Amino acid sequence: MISRVSTSTDRPWRALLPVAVVLGVMAFGLTSSGYVVTVIGFAAIYGIFCTGLNFFMGYTGQASFGQNAFAALGGYGTAILCGNHYWDPLAAFLVSMVFAGLVAYLVGLPTLKLRGHYLAMATFALGLITYEISIEWNGLTQGYMGISGIPPLGVWKFELANEKQMLVALTLLMLLGVWISVRLRDSRFGRALRAIAGSEPAARALGIDVARYKLAAFVIAALYASAAGSLFAHFVGFISPEVFGAAMVIQSFTMLFLGGIGTTWGPIVGAIMVLMLPEFLRGLKELQDVVYSMALIALLIFAPKGLAGLGSLFARRPKAPVPTPSGAPARAIAK
Amino acid sequence: MTSRLGAAVIAAALLSFVPGGAVQAQETYKIGAALGLTGYAAASDRAWRDGQMLAIEAINAKGGLLGKKIEYIGEDNRSEPQEAVVVYRKMMSNDKVNIFASGCVSAGNFAAAGAVIRSETPMVLCSILPPRPEEQKWAFSILPPPRFEMEARYGWLKANSQVRKIGIMHDPTPYAQLMKDVAVKTAQDSGFEVVAVETYKPDDVDMSVQIGRINAAGGGAIIKMGQGGSTVTVAKNIKQLGLDTMILMASLDDGVPLKAAGEVLGERFMFVAPPVQIPSSIPDGAFRKAADTFLTAWREKYGDRDPNAGARGWDSITVIATAVELAKSYNGPAVRDALEKLPPIQGAFAKFNFTATQHVGITENPYVVGVLRDGRFQVK
Repeated sequence: MISRVSTSTDRPWRALLPVAVVLGVMAFGLTSSGYVVTVIGFAAIYGIFCTGLNFFMGYTGQASFGQNAFAALGGYGTAILCGNHYWDPLAAFLVSMVFAGLVAYLVGLPTLKLRGHYLAMATFALGLITYEISIEWNGLTQGYMGISGIPPLGVWKFELANEKQMLVALTLLMLLGVWISVRLRDSRFGRALRAIAGSEPAARALGIDVARYKLAAFVIAALYASAAGSLFAHFVGFISPEVFGAAMVIQSFTMLFLGGIGTTWGPIVGAIMVLMLPEFLRGLKELQDVVYSMALIALLIFAPKGLAGLGSLFARRPKAPVPTPSGAPARAIAK
Repeated sequence: MTSRLGAAVIAAALLSFVPGGAVQAQETYKIGAALGLTGYAAASDRAWRDGQMLAIEAINAKGGLLGKKIEYIGEDNRSEPQEAVVVYRKMMSNDKVNIFASGCVSAGNFAAAGAVIRSETPMVLCSILPPRPEEQKWAFSILPPPRFEMEARYGWLKANSQVRKIGIMHDPTPYAQLMKDVAVKTAQDSGFEVVAVETYKPDDVDMSVQIGRINAAGGGAIIKMGQGGSTVTVAKNIKQLGLDTMILMASLDDGVPLKAAGEVLGERFMFVAPPVQIPSSIPDGAFRKAADTFLTAWREKYGDRDPNAGARGWDSITVIATAVELAKSYNGPAVRDALEKLPPIQGAFAKFNFTATQHVGITENPYVVGVLRDGRFQVK
């Protein structure tokens, strides 16, 4: 008899666990106070940001420390167009995305010829340059004074009147982002990205235009980041350079690895965990950061593939082979 | 087995997470504060908080406000706007605070201002006022206007030195930017020529280039805008460059960096000081009495710790308490209205004159120019 190894296909609940967690958290937000709505709203925004980053880092296996640059482009684009020029939020949102995508294309053309640490450093520099511009170009960004009075998300004369409506919109946009991610991952394009992540020379040998696919993944990640930046501006009504600083990079990396890099729901689960966990620990005051860090370490030890893969830890493991008198493993003997 | 056990622990921990902050019956008057207890504003905001808590202890010892004890809820915003939005929302929806008395992180207060005014909660701030008029309606600032710092520095330089060409160094924070604009605008009328305007980041470890440019342009004094260790860095760079006649005039700041810079440059280093930072400069009268009340409580608890930001925190609570008593109500809009109708209040830091059109309470320049002499701060 061959022992049976259970898979996630056998137990669909395991694959659906992260989906249920995400939807449960969003539903919980809709029945909660403004404080919880705010935290979950930020989680949705970061979830969108990390879903985009997952294209480049998870599916394609590249490193980017500069996605905050595109979030800043989206955020400032929206703030300037809506706040100063009274554009419709949807139009500003789309124009900012197009602009961020264009910048990503132009920057990516030379930058993505680099690999490994060099690519990481180049993208990090991109983030730093954008951050410095947002501080120093006072006439446009108002530096550390920031831009306030950014209207809530809306279309034409319809404006999302309160935080819960905003949370519904953020959740729908996040789900749209995940849906696009799933569709692209399972397409020919997604398989090419995964081939590149496995081995660039092998992918090239299979006829995949590595440079073109890497650039496409980078641009897609930038579009998601820009959308997240715009949504942040609408959700808070204010932006300043600190919002899109190095802390954003560190936080998004934590979300990605904690949630499960390369998985569909991992970025969302990671964003929820990274933003909600400190709030649950807020009562610990000075010990909050210590306990939070310990919790993160524990999670990474016990769930090294990320929280999205947590369900697989409950999977029934194949029993260790029992040696037979002849020395051959028992499970290898079939009837 | 280990993985399963770990997974079970994680799952149990996740399931046990239930947001705290259950709403209780409001038996206290709640003052909320979003504070930069970590991050760049930590030095000033920790002292601001400590001054506030001393004032609350004193009021509660006398029976509280209109029969209710004051409860203080301070939350760390990590000196970042996003975190500030979260803690403001927590204090509004979970803690149900009656009023805010938040710290000096301007961007954090600006980011949360929209939500705060929608809940009709007044704010008494350590920072400058938020930019939009509808937000300013609910905000009141304890911080002196930037022009007062410039008037004190220009006044001393003109009366006591031959220097007429100056260089400006500022960091990118909102308060420093405002002060830089005032400095450039008023220089000519004050009899000075600005030969260079240089910027720096608060965590820069060397500013020799900026100082060298000011010196090369003929500047005899550096007017520095910005707080913290950068002042010590500038003082050390001036000494390292051998600029033996260059004067350095620093901003309002905590005593620690001011003392360190004074030890490097001696009396060529001067700073803008509120009288409470140099108590010997306070004349007898109402000001002396108010400052002594605060300083007695402050020194009893914190010894020689610099009282500058603590005095402002103390005064913020005094202003709020006076407004609540005037309004005879804890209601947000009523307290806001009362803040506009307050009689002049002599605080430990300065005198406050809030009106309907004046939400920056300090209208008379409280500053003196200080120097480190014999290990102590004294008036130059």
